[in-house]
Amino acid sequence: MNEFQEKKIKFAWPEPKRSYDVVIVGGGGHGLATAYYLAARHGITNVAVLERKYIGAGNSGRNTTIIRANYGIPEAVRFYQRSLELYKHLEAETDRWIMHKQKGLLNVAHTESALRTERARAEVNTAFGAKTEFVAPKEIKEICPQIDLTGGNVWPVLGGSYHPEAATARHDRAVWAFAEGAMKRGVHVHQRIEVRGLTMSGGRVTGVETSAGPIAAKAVVGAVGGHVTTLASMAGVRLPIRTHPLQAYVTNHYDLQFDVIASSPGLLFYMSQTARGEMLVGAEIDRQPSYSYGSTYHFLQHCSHRAITLFPFMRSLRILRQWTGVCDMSPDYSPIMGKTGVDGFLVTTGWGTWGFKAIPAGGEQMAQLIASGETPELIAPFGLDRFASDRMMADRGSAGTH
Amino acid sequence: MRLIVDGQPIEFDAGDSALIAMLRAGIHPTGGGCLCLGGDCPHCLATVDGVSYTRTCETPARPGMIVERHPREGYPPLPLNNPAAAEEVKARNVHCDVAVIGAGDSGKAAAEEAERSGKRVITLDAKRGQEVVGVYPGPLVVARTPDGMLHVHPREEIIIATGAAEIQPVAPGNDLAGIVTARAASQLAAVGVPLGRVVAVGARPENAEATVADGQLIRFEGNGKVEAVIVRGADGNEKRIECDTVSVGLGLSPRDVLLRMGSGLAIRAVGNAAREPELPACPTSGVVCSCSGVTADDLQRVWDSGFRELELVKRATLAGTGPCQGSVCVPHIRSFLKERGGELQAPFTARPANRQPTLGEVAAGAHHRATPRTALDAEHRRLGARMDRIGGWWRPWNYGDTRAEYWAVREAVSIGDVSTLGKMIVSGPDALELLERLYPTQVSTIAPGRSRYVLLLDERGYVLDDGLICCDGASRYGLTFTSGGSSFAEMWVRDWAETWNLDVRILNQTMSLGAINVTGPLSKELLARAGFTRPMRHMEHTMATVAGVECRIFRLSFTGELSFELHHPAEQSAELWRSLMALGTDLGIKPHGIQTLLQLRLEKGHVIVGQDTDFDSTPRRIDMEWAVRLDKADFVGRQAVLRTNKAPLDKQLVGLEMDAPAPVEGAVIWRGSEYAGYVTSSAQSHALGKAVMLGWVKLFDGVLPTELTIDGRAARRVSLPFYDKEGRRARA
Repeated sequence: MNEFQEKKIKFAWPEPKRSYDVVIVGGGGHGLATAYYLAARHGITNVAVLERKYIGAGNSGRNTTIIRANYGIPEAVRFYQRSLELYKHLEAETDRWIMHKQKGLLNVAHTESALRTERARAEVNTAFGAKTEFVAPKEIKEICPQIDLTGGNVWPVLGGSYHPEAATARHDRAVWAFAEGAMKRGVHVHQRIEVRGLTMSGGRVTGVETSAGPIAAKAVVGAVGGHVTTLASMAGVRLPIRTHPLQAYVTNHYDLQFDVIASSPGLLFYMSQTARGEMLVGAEIDRQPSYSYGSTYHFLQHCSHRAITLFPFMRSLRILRQWTGVCDMSPDYSPIMGKTGVDGFLVTTGWGTWGFKAIPAGGEQMAQLIASGETPELIAPFGLDRFASDRMMADRGSAGTH
Repeated sequence: MRLIVDGQPIEFDAGDSALIAMLRAGIHPTGGGCLCLGGDCPHCLATVDGVSYTRTCETPARPGMIVERHPREGYPPLPLNNPAAAEEVKARNVHCDVAVIGAGDSGKAAAEEAERSGKRVITLDAKRGQEVVGVYPGPLVVARTPDGMLHVHPREEIIIATGAAEIQPVAPGNDLAGIVTARAASQLAAVGVPLGRVVAVGARPENAEATVADGQLIRFEGNGKVEAVIVRGADGNEKRIECDTVSVGLGLSPRDVLLRMGSGLAIRAVGNAAREPELPACPTSGVVCSCSGVTADDLQRVWDSGFRELELVKRATLAGTGPCQGSVCVPHIRSFLKERGGELQAPFTARPANRQPTLGEVAAGAHHRATPRTALDAEHRRLGARMDRIGGWWRPWNYGDTRAEYWAVREAVSIGDVSTLGKMIVSGPDALELLERLYPTQVSTIAPGRSRYVLLLDERGYVLDDGLICCDGASRYGLTFTSGGSSFAEMWVRDWAETWNLDVRILNQTMSLGAINVTGPLSKELLARAGFTRPMRHMEHTMATVAGVECRIFRLSFTGELSFELHHPAEQSAELWRSLMALGTDLGIKPHGIQTLLQLRLEKGHVIVGQDTDFDSTPRRIDMEWAVRLDKADFVGRQAVLRTNKAPLDKQLVGLEMDAPAPVEGAVIWRGSEYAGYVTSSAQSHALGKAVMLGWVKLFDGVLPTELTIDGRAARRVSLPFYDKEGRRARA
């Protein structure tokens, strides 16, 4: 028996209907959270979520589970802080254990220019409601005693920023809590139904073609990861998205002794210890765009090398499992949410390396948009139209790794 | 010979593994669970010489070896106290035509067949300690060996001959000690480990004495150690057989994890690794996954809760996510799901790494990317500089007294190392054409001997880089780029030259040329002492000898003072630097570091691309429309600039000042209670006695605000530059 087994969640798998008010394409965190909030906040329950594989099979089950709000621009700080707050209360709201744990996130800087970035991060975070402070090496050592401040005499730690409200949660459980919560309120979630096309009529999207036949909908939401550009192009919508693989790995399980999420934007790696004791290590996206879930040794080798540089004790830990997700990167490192210019078709995408932490706020805001027809103020800056109108949400704070 | 287990010395024989030694001493490494002796199960894992999760069945016993058993509850501690314990692991690359993994009968046969057809074959054999960690695109086969890591690059094919694992028993009591697989029983008997009374369930061990228990396995009984096994015979009756050891032969499951890991590569399995898995009976009770402690009841519970996909069952129970990576449990879970759902689901994705290498092992062969140093690096260090990585180079941040460095520039003479600037020659018949298409300035109006400050834009009209264009004649130009942007700039220029099929030669001189900036009101005097007296106008360049070194001299100014940039062969940098320092001693010469340079240029309002600019900085937003000629023929970014100029201006990079102290860079700028922007550069100006800044400020109703608040204090938007507004000093 292990204490981390899921014991409360119960799923229901009804047969698909031929028509829904809302069809959400993609049974990952964002799709399911959108369905959940539609049902829970707005009473809209004639909703289907269509998933090609099983729920959470894509990046929702492949990310490194970090929840943080220490972004680089006011619009993003506000949005992710909202998400961070929603996550804090998600267990109470759903009565499900998502293993949410506040840990704090430490970004370390190895150069003057990186110090400048971390100072700036603390400034904009503090101004917009996220708690982040600039910290000196001495404080870093107190927060994270395991760090080698000399960086193996190659990458010395000169300072950094600390974001105490950063947390982690079990990714699958967050997905399941939203799925079950939606199902309980009457939302249909269908696994192994693949969307193959969009049905259009009079210039608007009126439904989807699927492996289980056509399904009509008043509104279709694209919430897929990876092939989102393919889906959008079916409605004639061009998305400025390039998809890159992102890899991560965990070690075997060890006693819980590493409390913080430690990150080096300069060395492009970060790590934390999972509730089950695995050390979880991640890095930056692969440079070459691809939809591949294949893992590379180059990543494992170099990421491990960097981890050992700052955390020498990691040297003798054993690597258990390496995996890959894909990241939909937008040109300005910010998400794309909302209307597309085609009636009946909305998207929530551009989730890059920051999708997991945005699940509750993304779902909540998309649900509000669908329910009201009006784009909520919190996500208005992240509309697709910003690219054509030169209103980029350039966010260096998110251009990192996790 | 003795090794130490949990502090107690135990004897071992030559050739023993750590596991055999423990079993001889009556110690089960994990307290219980069926041992396979094949590396497949998690039941022999222990901490060996500080490394946890070591398979003791594959670890040769050594005198003095320290074995610590993992705690029965919870996990082994992080090895925080022996950080430098492990030695550096070596990595070696080898190439071959065919890599064969496994040297059993089928592996040998496959290797011989490949060799007969003239292929170079490398065989990796776990029995020789060569354990394959992963199969990757490349193709690359990574193995851990007694001599370090082996990176095998097979050109043609990977053959998996890893054999099969034995199916483990799932029944109540399967976590007792004294249960082994049939193959393990044979091996233990062969090396003389006392097994006592052996009962064989299923296939018999080959050379061990055993009582055969005919029938279906029901449960094991015992207290810590197995005392009896209960089977149900063909007659339906349960039979209890007392014993000291149970040998279990329930069938074979292919060791195909590497095969599945290599899907998409030229890879195939032979022998037992290619066999169809035998599906065990649907588990009804007992531990299914001992790594994560998942029982048959747990499977039933998640099934009843709607977790029907193998992947979801895995994620809900965590079965298959431990050190054996599903080797033990997956056959049983598949059997369970087939029984319940009718469909035999494929095993879950095989993910690296196989057999748990350490981070130290996989890091073998990796190095930090070297940060380049200029030819003057030793000079800076000799002068006591604190070095920092800036723009991808080691550069002097300061020399200990930034105020003295500052005043040397403003009032005397100073030298700075600017060798890191991107430097490029573009020549050939189409050189002018290329530059006209790349740059938003009218390049044809730059006369030979003159240079011009320029912006480089991308197709979206955003500022990529800045620098100089220096004209040597209509078919030869020198370009400079920022230190951090130069390698991208080279790709950019070459890519466009190729795209447009232009006849140009491009020579990157960034590494071959050193560059020293001589700056300050006495810089002319210093150069005169170094033998250069020719008058130069601002933004002129010329070739001349300075202190015996052939230089291309640019008159320009980034600091705001009279300045000359000396580009010269990098091998003469140190000589030139030392000569200038010696000649300037009585002029008060001091070198200046980047920290001082940042302040000097800020006082002049000079933008640093990447620090003051953002991803979306158009020339208009950084208030440099003067650098863009929209009336010339098309250039990269022109269409975008025309388009974005139609939208109302939303924000601009502006100069700001306030009383001391200077806010940090990144400080938020407010207009009353409204967000207005943020500071990109900030310094307390020694010359002006106040804080000077560059920052992004939003327009409100089409108007740039003037009165602002930063750090709760009043700040004002002012015109640039802050220092020497008429530019008299640079043009002196």
